[in-house]
Amino acid sequence: MSNLEDAELAGQVARGNEKAFLALYDRYAGRIHALTLRILNDPMLAEEATQDTFLKLWSRAHSFSAERGSLLLWLLTIARHVALDRLRLEARRPTLSDSSDPEEAWQNIPDGNSLTEEHRWRSLYFAVQSLSTEHRQVIELAYYQGLSQSEIAETLGWPLGTVKTRLRAAMEQLRRDWNR
Amino acid sequence: MPSNKHIPFRENIPAYVLGALNAGEISALEAHLETCVPCQGEVAAYRTLSDDLLMALPPKNPSAALRRRLQSKLPSARRPLRQSMKWSLGRFAVASVLVVLLLLDGFAAYQMQSLQNQQAQLSHQLQAQQTALALLSYPGVQVVSINSNGITGTLLVDDDRNAIALFAWNLPSLPADRTYQVWLIDSQEQRVNLGMFRPDPALPFTSFSVISSNPIANFVGIGVTVEPSGGSSHPTGPRLFRVGF
Repeated sequence: MSNLEDAELAGQVARGNEKAFLALYDRYAGRIHALTLRILNDPMLAEEATQDTFLKLWSRAHSFSAERGSLLLWLLTIARHVALDRLRLEARRPTLSDSSDPEEAWQNIPDGNSLTEEHRWRSLYFAVQSLSTEHRQVIELAYYQGLSQSEIAETLGWPLGTVKTRLRAAMEQLRRDWNR
Repeated sequence: MPSNKHIPFRENIPAYVLGALNAGEISALEAHLETCVPCQGEVAAYRTLSDDLLMALPPKNPSAALRRRLQSKLPSARRPLRQSMKWSLGRFAVASVLVVLLLLDGFAAYQMQSLQNQQAQLSHQLQAQQTALALLSYPGVQVVSINSNGITGTLLVDDDRNAIALFAWNLPSLPADRTYQVWLIDSQEQRVNLGMFRPDPALPFTSFSVISSNPIANFVGIGVTVEPSGGSSHPTGPRLFRVGF
């Protein structure tokens, strides 16, 4: 079961195969939970959001289409929406610091010499970490906290124009680093 | 499209893919994207970047309890509960049927008892009416009218057969612990029990007939009193009426 491709497992989940579902959970729970924890910054809330994400996988696996993207991206997109909805429900204040330890991240990262998906996100993770604090903050607040540019300006006390400029510059830098 | 009008939209694309635009900015940009192929390409490129941002976090495994909680929500874990519910529903259905049958049985018994009571009453009334008819057809029967305390009726007296039949109208209804008792009255105003009856609420009149063990000719009339259920050895309650032969 663990050797099967994501799309095949998702198809089996859509047909009610619980072993396939648990295989996908074992494969991606860490990735999903990392995102929900990053957004919610609360282990209990993050686990609830992770659980809700996988329950959506169970109930909506039939709507997954491998042609539109990877299963992991599909799950992460669901997880982001679930966590942001929960964040708004809890009316929690944005968290500005990344609590993840880069050294710990290295220990958890699989083989970095391959061109696998893991290699891609490993590279991007360090590309984000290499951004200036101001650039990283606007990225985090926009993407991981669901704030608009106006809300970011209010949160950080910056002029709206500054937020727009920094956010655009941060994304352009990531794009350059990523394509380099 | 002229480049000076193109630039503001293009500058918003990074914020757009991050979900950081407000509703008005989103509408304007999406309207622009419908006709601008270069900007569509920019969106696709930045969309790839934003998708990758989702993956730019080192894995963090949740607690082992989360896996167990998820497993508990899967159908196989819930099946025993469903079976239990089915058993419960089955038992409930059987219990319901038993209760209904018991109720029906009780109701049938009640109906049977009621029918038996009605049959006894009808039999008693029929006997009284047959006695009355027999008395009416006999030439020596004395017919006495009753009109006392608002009660009207007829008393048939057959001295030869010591038979008496009483038909009374407008008799007051009685509490459950009371009965009407009929007394033969002799010339010394002594009373001898002749029997008891209760008015039938289903009928506008009440009939009572009896063959006396004492010679009717030795008595001068009858009286009716209200007595405790089961009767009394001598009159103790209020008199309903008295009539002489």
